Amino acid sequence: MIIDTFRRLSVFIALLLVQVLVLNHVFLFGWATILLYVYFVVMFPRNYPRWAILLWSFAMGLSVDMFANTPGMAAASLTIVGFIQPYLLELFIPREAPENLRTAAATLGLSKFTVFASMLVFVHCLLFFSIETFTSFHWQHWLLSIGGSTFLTLALLMAVELVRK
Amino acid sequence: MNNLLAFVARFFHWLLLLVLEIISGVLLFQYNSYQGSVWFSSSNALVGKIYEWDAGVRSFFSLKRANEELSLRNFYLERQVAQLRRLYGDLTQDTTSLMRQELQLLNRFELVPAKVVSNSLDKTDNFITIDKGRNDGVQKDMGVACGNGVVGVVYMASAHYAVVIPVLNVTSSRISCAIRGRGYFGYLQWYGGDPTVAYVEDVPRHARFKKGDWVETSGYSSIFPQGVLVGKIEKIFNSADGLSYRLKVRLSTDFGCLRDVYVISDHSVSEQLQLLNNVQDSITMAPKQ
Repeated sequence: MIIDTFRRLSVFIALLLVQVLVLNHVFLFGWATILLYVYFVVMFPRNYPRWAILLWSFAMGLSVDMFANTPGMAAASLTIVGFIQPYLLELFIPREAPENLRTAAATLGLSKFTVFASMLVFVHCLLFFSIETFTSFHWQHWLLSIGGSTFLTLALLMAVELVRK
Repeated sequence: MNNLLAFVARFFHWLLLLVLEIISGVLLFQYNSYQGSVWFSSSNALVGKIYEWDAGVRSFFSLKRANEELSLRNFYLERQVAQLRRLYGDLTQDTTSLMRQELQLLNRFELVPAKVVSNSLDKTDNFITIDKGRNDGVQKDMGVACGNGVVGVVYMASAHYAVVIPVLNVTSSRISCAIRGRGYFGYLQWYGGDPTVAYVEDVPRHARFKKGDWVETSGYSSIFPQGVLVGKIEKIFNSADGLSYRLKVRLSTDFGCLRDVYVISDHSVSEQLQLLNNVQDSITMAPKQ
């Protein structure tokens, strides 16, 4: 458990640094940002304590917020992603799977994992950009941001996932 | 009581979600109040430190560019100083025409910044490769200099690279140079060995100069403009035949750590060369008498 926590912490720091030092500086086409840190939430295994997922997600969101000077935005949306992750995961888990099944393309199957990850990424992008455009609402820009960021984030996430395997 | 605990345990994560979302919401809407937000933004010490490291790393990589620009600036200013010194010395003569000439001279040259990609010091015939070629306007027989002084002459240019014959090439490098402020000229020759020392040959016997004078390019060769630094006179010898002086010069360019150089492209060189070729042709073609 402690080893698992430490490994999770190192992944946390790595993803956070990649996000804030590299990806946050990449604005593609003026409206899309790659939000790779969602991957951290996607990775939680089956039956991981739900309160822990929530705390981790909140911490990740808040850390990203600190660097991007957007207090609460990523935290609010990522916490919700962390909340629905275990529920959503149950739908994709094959029958007779072990209790603490790892969430990965290797265990779920590539297509199922892709759908699972894309749903979480989409929810995150939807919430994130909705909160962002709270004040000045340009629905075209909003749709482009959600669509573009979801797609690009998913693409990078899958690339990392396949390399990791 | 047990029921209550079980209820709480069951729905703990709902409660937690609620709490966290409220915190996020408070942060989100309180951000405008500066006092409360300092801790959760990049002005907090840890975040600031990490950004500072990041900026340090980034600026390290942009140093290269800064270096390049400084070197270019240095070269430009050095030339300007040389020009001004000459102008000052010649003040008594027709200054306006001189000024015009100097300005024309400056306009004639164009600098192409380049990077040394390979270099050697240990052979008798050394060569330097730079990362600019014909596509960048570099051609054979163009001068190459760096911020500290003269480097050599382009020997061959491909599309993207060029080979330069540096001063440190015994058989092929003969750069025409002059003693600053005196005007007497000779040519620069290196004899191998120490890469910081070369010799100026063929300085006339009647020339007046002293140890410690600066040697610069003469501008006669049309490869270099006048006034690119070569080095400082360290010792004065008689030449082997006793008809001229031979000056030992401490080169101002450090060939051991050459990185950023400039190819000096002279728009009028081709014209001058063509004229020279025409003259030579007409001499050789002329019927013997």
